[in-house]
Amino acid sequence: MPLDAARIHEAPDDLLAAIDYCYEQGWTDGLPVVPPAVDRVEAMLAFEGRPPETVIATHPATGLELSVHAAAVNAVMAGCLPEYFPVIVAAFEAMNEPPFNFHGSTASTGGSAPLLIVSGQCADDIGMNADVNLFGPGNRANATIGRATRLILRNVFQMIPGISDKSTQGNPGKYSFCIAERARGNPWPLLCQEQDYPDGVSSVTCFAGGGFFNIENHGGNTPEHVLGSVADTMANYGCITLGQSVVILSPEHMRILSDAGWSRTDAQEFLFSHGKRSVDGMRSVGKYRDSEYEKQHGPDAHGLVEDGFIHRGLGPEDILITMGGGDAGGHSCFIPSWSRARSSLMQHKPIGVCIDCD
Amino acid sequence: MQLYDPTSSGPERHLTRAAALGKLDGAKIAIVENAKLNAPEMLHAIADLFVERHGCTVLPHWTKQNASAPAPADTLKAAAAKADFLITGLGD
Repeated sequence: MPLDAARIHEAPDDLLAAIDYCYEQGWTDGLPVVPPAVDRVEAMLAFEGRPPETVIATHPATGLELSVHAAAVNAVMAGCLPEYFPVIVAAFEAMNEPPFNFHGSTASTGGSAPLLIVSGQCADDIGMNADVNLFGPGNRANATIGRATRLILRNVFQMIPGISDKSTQGNPGKYSFCIAERARGNPWPLLCQEQDYPDGVSSVTCFAGGGFFNIENHGGNTPEHVLGSVADTMANYGCITLGQSVVILSPEHMRILSDAGWSRTDAQEFLFSHGKRSVDGMRSVGKYRDSEYEKQHGPDAHGLVEDGFIHRGLGPEDILITMGGGDAGGHSCFIPSWSRARSSLMQHKPIGVCIDCD
Repeated sequence: MQLYDPTSSGPERHLTRAAALGKLDGAKIAIVENAKLNAPEMLHAIADLFVERHGCTVLPHWTKQNASAPAPADTLKAAAAKADFLITGLGD
């Protein structure tokens, strides 16, 4: 959207009245927003090198477009600092990739929330939290980047609760769902390294998260103990599907794995092998489908797939695992994909740089 | 205080409905099944009513590979080329 075409509203000069004005326009997620004053939006735009009218995402069902300018307006409203803006731009470029299924993941009764995982130096540069209270409140960057994501979905893409967003129950992550990967003490390569970005390039991974499961295990002291409880959570009848998974291991749990010499691949293979339910068990809760079994056990089946069982996902690589949270506590978490099959696959993009762009 | 509007900035699209069919008798029906649980059963049951009441013909159905994504344009074009009208909808 060219700047001269951007619509300007004349709101009251009184700040509180301007906040009320934003409410009256239906621009909020229910919480007060920072009024998107022209000068603040322009400061946000200074952190993106492309013209404001550049389109960074398009809704496949409605054709609605997200311009750099509109993203900046909503980032201001969410309370973002300008230096956070490249993360938001990269996140929407990732969600714009067709396998993410931008439409379904934002409209479905499943109630997904886009989980953003920021990996690399950028997280420290902008002051993100990868530590204590990782998913909780208290950090401006985490909170407002996630909130900007929701405001863009609401205001630009018109994913309005009850109208185009048909979430049966939704989930709290729909207010904000953004974390940093913890680099300090992490024994495994960071996600941005695994994703093969050049040295020094950070990334954001976007995942249509269906909720949040705490995994408490203070008694386990082997990888099998810890990951056994993770696998059991991943395979609970309420959420086992062929969809992907995110597992964020607490530092205490991660230390048990690293002390035993377990790699990320070892952990993924263990979780895929053990995160399963028998066909009879699936039938007992009415969730067994021949088509899903055939998809998992067909000619391209992963070598760890076991006859007579439904595993979570199609293979170990469907499970993203990394570390986050405070040093103390045997609390990890599992976040299932909103998608029950392959309708939404996690996507990632570099932050603030263009790699192999046209 | 001047505020920028945060809402949609995309081009307006003009959507129109297809012209109504003059008659249903003997029409060919396409079914686009969206891969939801029970969708094929529900859609074929509806199509059977048209067969029974209007002597329609049901073409082999098309299946969306992704229940929650828009139907691929190729699928819709292929169905439109062979059918007089199309039945689709949700299952679950």
